[in-house]
Formats: sequence, structure tokens, C-alpha cells
Amino acid sequence: MENRDSMWALFQKRGVSRRSFLKTCAVVTGMLGLSPAMLPKVVAAAEKKTLPPVIWLHGHECTGCDEAFIRSQSPLASDVVLNMISLEYSDTLSASAGEAFEHHLKDLMKKYAGQYILAVEGGVPLADNGIHCMTGGRTFLAALKEAAAGAAAIIEYGSCAAWGGIQAARPNPTKSVSVSDVISGKPIVKVPGCPPIPEVMTAVVMHFALFGQLPPLDAQGRPKQFYGNRIHDTCYRRPFFDSGMFVEKFDDAGAKAGWCLYKVGCRGPVAYNSCGNMRWWNGLSYPIQSGAPCFACGSNNFWDNGPFFERLPDIPVPGTIADADKVGMVAAGAALVGVVAHGALSAMQKSKQAKQQDTDVRGPEA
Amino acid sequence: MSEGPVKEYYIYSPWLRIFHWVMAASVGVLFATGLYIGNPFFIGTQGVEPTFAVNKLMSMETIRYIHFAAAYILVAGFILRVYGFAVNRGDRLLPKFWTALYWQGVVEMLKHYLFLSADHRPYLRNSLARSAYLGVYVLLFLEAVTGFAMYFMVDPNGFGAKLFGPVNGLFGGEYTVHLVHHYVAWLLAIFVIVHVYLVIRADFMEREGEASSMFSGVKFFAHKPADIGDIADDSDKQTDYGTRHRQYPAQG
Repeated sequence: MENRDSMWALFQKRGVSRRSFLKTCAVVTGMLGLSPAMLPKVVAAAEKKTLPPVIWLHGHECTGCDEAFIRSQSPLASDVVLNMISLEYSDTLSASAGEAFEHHLKDLMKKYAGQYILAVEGGVPLADNGIHCMTGGRTFLAALKEAAAGAAAIIEYGSCAAWGGIQAARPNPTKSVSVSDVISGKPIVKVPGCPPIPEVMTAVVMHFALFGQLPPLDAQGRPKQFYGNRIHDTCYRRPFFDSGMFVEKFDDAGAKAGWCLYKVGCRGPVAYNSCGNMRWWNGLSYPIQSGAPCFACGSNNFWDNGPFFERLPDIPVPGTIADADKVGMVAAGAALVGVVAHGALSAMQKSKQAKQQDTDVRGPEA
Repeated sequence: MSEGPVKEYYIYSPWLRIFHWVMAASVGVLFATGLYIGNPFFIGTQGVEPTFAVNKLMSMETIRYIHFAAAYILVAGFILRVYGFAVNRGDRLLPKFWTALYWQGVVEMLKHYLFLSADHRPYLRNSLARSAYLGVYVLLFLEAVTGFAMYFMVDPNGFGAKLFGPVNGLFGGEYTVHLVHHYVAWLLAIFVIVHVYLVIRADFMEREGEASSMFSGVKFFAHKPADIGDIADDSDKQTDYGTRHRQYPAQG
């Protein structure tokens, strides 16, 4: 808790040179997705701003986001936790646990009221008074509301916190919702993904730490610099799409040659994320690079947009497997048959009418 | 068959007619290219590096380009429709839901199409047709909005994305937008089938020049159409409603 220094003060304490400090600032500028012209501002902020305390809560989730975060490469997760922010409370990363730890949380919330960043991982189950997720003997909803009351900003880390998550899939038995569905009146940023790219989380925290405000957000509340572009528009396999060269099956020659995964269900055209340009594990790879279609894990309701390996979803027609094209084709066929039948009936009616008129004019032919 | 002279009634301005055929052509192109974009069903260029295959005929890139160009032509063409609406009385955009005539026409035409009545009063454009065309405009609007929402997000900070990007959030995600775009395309295809049939049927059954009216702008009626108010003030004294008014003797 004594870790309330600025970044520059921290560097000096550890005997790191000014030159290294400036280099770090340059890296941070790039990491935040800022233009190089912003470097002086980043340096100024890193010199003066004290690093904000971070409280990290876990709700209805699998802690996979934690798993991703501790693999943050640039900067290293250990650097983030120890040198760049002061992570004061995280029940999965901390050495301590139990009552003493919960006391620590209480003290923190009192001492840094209105200053700390609240990172929330996991959805909020509302069914049955929220008993489907309990922490420290309380419902997660209660714990979240208490922690959110004194937060300077809230980060919804992962698709569960941002959209409700996998457990919110139809029919959503626990009524799991996003953090912003139950908390309002605070600056909230969504960092969705299942899990999100760890560097993105780090960058969002750093942005708030340095500038005291959230980064620019898109219409859905996600930081623009990381969720602005479609996977499809940043995909290294895009030339194959543009040329009409597609993987038809996972074991065909196209798959081997690394062609476009559009026809095996890739959600790249609807997914907004940074996997295409930042990639994972220090740029090592990402799903599409390993030959798997994108699931759009950062998008709302991605869990209900199945099946993942089909371009179009199934329409629940009993006893069949039908997608939009099949249903459309059948409906259009039925319309064709319908109009032909209607035409035949019309022609019959007309000829009957003509005969009738003939009869009327000429009289019955005896 | 019909007694007495057949009169010529001028209804559609050239603007509406040009728009109609621009729309017909672009919707056809959009549907065909859209089917390929949604499900690339034929194998693209083989044995060429994708960098060069992009420019080949019928590559995804080319087909998408045609799709987007046709979309812009369709949207721009609607200006003609609106202009026709402004300058010509017959080019009405909306059905008159608030009139008794409209609802009578709906009942009458439904009965006629269900073979419950052999005849119906003559109409310049009957109520069901008018309602269907309004439906088409709604569907085309949906297609344009969802299409632009997907199209402009290539440049998420551009003007188009600012205008249409939020549509993606409105539909609960861009995936749903793709689906809506897809379903509505099929609805339009079904409309085209029914529309073409009913036009041919009307020409066949009523011989009022239904099909040719979209080229010439005129229809022919032996009796005064029930919705004559759409092109002229309906009064019994005034029967002359335009310079294009000609009479033809009845065919023996």
C-alpha cells in the first residue's frame, strides 16, 4: 500500500537511468496506441502522476482472463503488477487470503475512496437474489456494488464482465448480466474478449493511470484504439478472401496452404479486436494464424451465434438443419409454385367468365 | 369484349420509370453478387498468388466491388423517385391509409386474388400493390442501412462509420446485421417473384397495359378508375385531365 509513487520516482528508487525511463515512456506511448507526438505528455504524466491503486474483483467466470493477464509479455505481467500499477487486491494473484485479506479490501476502499481503479472480471448473476456467485460469504452483486461506489473508474475485463459471458447464453439460467447493467454513474470501459489480449488490459489501466481518464471509446464502450478495427480488415489471410480462395474443410489443401477461413465459419468480418495486428504472446500467434476460425469472442452474444464452424446460424426448423439460404430458397420455391398455381386458377376463371359472357350475348346454344 | 372507348391515362413520370428499371437491374445484381459474398459457392482462381488473383475476373474482390457499386447506384437512383414524386402527381410514394377507398381496395383485391370475386373496380394502382411497394421501400431501406453499417466500418473513424456504425450496436452486434441483410434479401427475392407474376396476370386478365405502363407511363381503362383522384381532381364535370388524354375506339 506504500506503493504510491509516480513511475519516475519508482525508477529512481530502483536506480534505473533517466535514459531507460524515457525509453519506457516511448514504449508505453506505443502500447497505449497514441501517436509519437504524445510522448512528451506521457513523460510528464509518468513523472508526476502517482500510480493508482487497483482493486481486481472476480465474479461469475472461469478466471481465464487472469490466465491471459499473467502471460502479458510487453510489459511483463510481473512488471505491471509490481512496478506500473499498485495492484492492491486480487484474490487469485495475491499470496494472502481469508479474513485478513477481506479486511485489507475494506481498508483500501476506505483509504482510497474515489481514487482506485476497479477491475471486474466476470458477470453478475441476478437470479435467486444472486446466490449463484458468492465471495466472502456475500453475493457478488453486493460486493461489486460496495466496491463500485468508491471507484474512480471501472474496467470490465473480459466478455463476462462486459456482456454477461458464456453463462448468459440462452436461456441464461442464472440471469447473468454485465457489470454496466447493474452499475451506473461511473466511467466504465469494456475490455471484452474470451480472454482479452493481456496487453490491451495493461494499456487501458496505464491510460487511466497516466491521464486520469478513460481512453476514447466506441459506440459500445470499448477503447477505440484496440477495438476499432475488424479482425477481417487486419487479417494477414485477407488476400485469400479477396481472391476467392477458401478453406472448405479443415483437412483440405486450402487449410494446409493457409487460405481464408471464411467458409468454415470465421467471424473475422464481424469481430472487433486487436488480434490481427497485436497478436498474442508477444506477437507469437493468434487463432486464425493457427488455422482456427475466429469466434468473435469480444462480441456481445458470440456464444449464441452458433454453430461456430458454419458461416450462417441454424434456424430452428424441427427435424432439419437449415440456414438462411436454405430457408430462403425453399420460401422462394414455394412462392414460385404458388404463383404458377394461382396463374392456372386465374386462367381457368377467365376462360369460364369468357364463356359465360359469350353465353349471355349469344344466348344458350340449343 | 368491353363496350365503349378505351381511354389512355398518364400515370408514371419518366423519373419513376427510369428508377424502376435502375432498381430492378441493381437489385438483381445485388442479389446475385450478395449470394456469392455470403457463401462463395464456386472455386476462385487457382495456381496464382492471391496478390495477383485479386484482379482476376470474378474474384471475391471484383464481386464485392460490383455489389458495392450496384448498391450506390440503387441508393442514388432513389433520388429520381423522389424527384418524380415532387413533379408528378401520379408518382405517389405512400398509400393513403387514411381513406376509405384504400381499405375498400384492400378487401376488394384480397377477394379477387382469393378467387372469391371474378372482377374488381379498375384502379390506376390497387391498394395491395401500393402497400407492397411501400413494403419494398422499407426492405430496401433496411438493406441500405445494414449494408452501409457493415461497409463503412472498414474505416471506423470515417464519416460513414460515425453515421452508420451505431446501427451495428442497435441490432445487438454486427453478426445480427449480416443475418438481417441476408434475410431481407430473400424477402426481396420473394417479392420479385410475386410482383412479376401479378403484373403479368393483371395484363392477361384485365388488358389495361399493366406491364407496358412501366415503359410508357400510361395505362388504358374502359371505365374511370376508382383512384382517379391520384392523377386528377375527381369531379364529374371535369373529365379532361391532361394533354396526354386520348381516346381509342373499342375493338370490335
